[in-house]
Amino acid sequence: MSERWRAVHMEWTKLRTVRSTAWLLLATVGFTLGVGGLAAWAVGTTMCPTPTGCAGEDTPRLALSGVYLGQIAVVVLAALAVTTEYGTDTMRLTLAAYPRRGIVFAAKGTVVMALVLGTGTLGVLGSLLAGRIALPGRRFVEANTVPPLSLADEPTLRATIGTVLYLGLIAVLGLGVGMVVRHTAAALSTVLAMLLLPQMIAPLLTNEHWREWVLKASPMTAGLAIQATKGLDSLPIGPWPGLGVLAAYAGSAWLVGAALFWLRDA
Amino acid sequence: MTTPTYHPAVTTARDGFGQLLRAEWTKLRSVRSTAWCLILAVGLMLLISMLGATGSTTDVNESGPNRVDLFHFVYQPLTGDGSVTAHVLTQQRTGPLARAGLMIKGGLEPGAPYASIAVTPARGVRMQANFEPDVAGTASGAPVWLRLTRTGNSITGYSSADGTTWREVGSATVATLPQKAQVGLFVTSPPTALRIVRQGGNTETSSAFEPSTATFDSVDVAPVSPAPVAAWSDLDVGKPGPRVDGTPATGSSSESGGTFTVTGAGDIGTLPPGGDNDIVRDSLAGVLIGMIAIVVLGVVFMTSEYAKGLIRTTFTVSPRRGRVLAAKAVVLGLAVFTVGLFTALAALVLTRPIQRRNGFEAPAYPDPSLADPRVLRAVIGTALFLAVLALFALGVGTVLRRAAGAITLVIALVVVPSIIGAFLPMNTELWLNRTTPLAGLAMQQTRDRFDNAIGPWAGLGVLCAWAAVALGLAYWQLRRTDP
Repeated sequence: MSERWRAVHMEWTKLRTVRSTAWLLLATVGFTLGVGGLAAWAVGTTMCPTPTGCAGEDTPRLALSGVYLGQIAVVVLAALAVTTEYGTDTMRLTLAAYPRRGIVFAAKGTVVMALVLGTGTLGVLGSLLAGRIALPGRRFVEANTVPPLSLADEPTLRATIGTVLYLGLIAVLGLGVGMVVRHTAAALSTVLAMLLLPQMIAPLLTNEHWREWVLKASPMTAGLAIQATKGLDSLPIGPWPGLGVLAAYAGSAWLVGAALFWLRDA
Repeated sequence: MTTPTYHPAVTTARDGFGQLLRAEWTKLRSVRSTAWCLILAVGLMLLISMLGATGSTTDVNESGPNRVDLFHFVYQPLTGDGSVTAHVLTQQRTGPLARAGLMIKGGLEPGAPYASIAVTPARGVRMQANFEPDVAGTASGAPVWLRLTRTGNSITGYSSADGTTWREVGSATVATLPQKAQVGLFVTSPPTALRIVRQGGNTETSSAFEPSTATFDSVDVAPVSPAPVAAWSDLDVGKPGPRVDGTPATGSSSESGGTFTVTGAGDIGTLPPGGDNDIVRDSLAGVLIGMIAIVVLGVVFMTSEYAKGLIRTTFTVSPRRGRVLAAKAVVLGLAVFTVGLFTALAALVLTRPIQRRNGFEAPAYPDPSLADPRVLRAVIGTALFLAVLALFALGVGTVLRRAAGAITLVIALVVVPSIIGAFLPMNTELWLNRTTPLAGLAMQQTRDRFDNAIGPWAGLGVLCAWAAVALGLAYWQLRRTDP
């Protein structure tokens, strides 16, 4: 076994044996599925002026809306992977056993990413399936020009893959910020504030330019543009550029975290 | 030999609550993270409120008066001077301001000059002309006798309970009234409901009308110079608005044996400049963000004791655990309330000049004053919201004992409704705003808006219920398990 894999194995053992990990992974899938199912169930064509008037409803996005809640569990998982080591001083032990810090951080990232991408895929595909089952019951049917959710549809496929990638990038962001602040409460508040607050502030801004700018430049609102399958012209930012904005945030947080990890004493 | 009397050095537990309060206050004040949370909360609230004010503009005061002229009219021509009389038998109460009465109008197009007298279900008899504010007559509703008399350009309105003794309600000069005017019966009813339509994934709202029906008899048009008896015609003046189901709320009329039945919907007059922004709530909007720091404070105030093992010392000093929780709750609640109150006042003062610069000024948006009970309630309510939210967070933190889990849970509960609500149907969003702890923010409402989910005090009650349950569980948890 190469040296790098030993680092990965070490991180895997640490993460696997902590009780919160399993709970958080379960919460990721549960939140994603639960809220997605609720959203698909709450919307019906009866609210539209005509049954076909609901054709503009972005059903894939609706079915995948559970990530708004699911991502919180991902943030906690990623931040805890770093901050608990500082809270309990395990980090000194880790670095004593394995002094190459770049590899330690990369191994941590690999393990967290693998877990998040795996559970994320599960939650996202499950949400799509739930939507596929629930939506026809709300009269979103072919006759009303809303085809059933299907991965064969290219925008739906993009939304699905993009949402999984979104969760992965959120994990990177959580790890990076966790490494910068090294304190659980501070890391969680920072990341959750970065993600959720712009969406809450935006409706308060009546000035169109300000609002659009906030939605375009914030990690969550820009990143989740990847879920849009309809009305792409009216979005503040396109799907892939939006995910790019999130990637820029996550990448910067990761780089700053890695640099500080390398520079500071544990 | 004398034995020294034993004096216990520790005072008994019952006396110690004051000391306990002092101990908790010292912890709150001197622990770096809790102090930071308070500073951060103040800073975020002010910053976000000012940012929100800077990013919000309106030109509502520049758009001029907003005239509406929409009603069902049963009319015949009247040339020169004369009068029109009718007995309003019944009026359907679709809303407090539905109107049934008489009108003299220069033409049949919306905006034509007019004078009218009408009865309303809640505000008695009203006389109105030229889209100006109306004049009150007798306070009783239908049945009532009404009369309009034209003398040149001057129109006088009368009302009577029996059709014989008449009382003058008011008179108006309609300068541009042509020689040949249209006179007759009119019925209208302002929007009373909201029409919610989901289109293209967005929820849109508009006013919905419900036509009101009124019956009249003894209708009489009496020209001063004799003229042949004219026939009645009817039409909707203005384009009828939608009903709740989207169909147009058109009016109608029929006559049988001298009794007229008239149905119509709409409104007549000048609406106040059309802004319905709740500027006080907007000024305090920073609370949405600042509350995150307060949540962290409430959680960490307890969990940091567990993280550092300090809780064992605390319980050694004060073995009665319920009292420790109570002391923490009192100190935290009072501290957050005080900070919240000053921050809310500061936010109101700091954002007002920005709002004024961006168009939010009188007449549509007069300066809010603390003498207005709603504004006062919003300011105190903001502080109460934050204090009770902190207690809720303290309860959750005590139950879970871990900062990560508690912060996540509370933030998810308070933040997610406003985030996932945005793309859920309106009624689901309102339901979330009624049942989650965020309902407490209803204290900030100072205007009646369609998207108000719950009344102010009821909303605070919902939050209090969450806090009570959390603190109850916390007490049970503290008694049951060792730290």
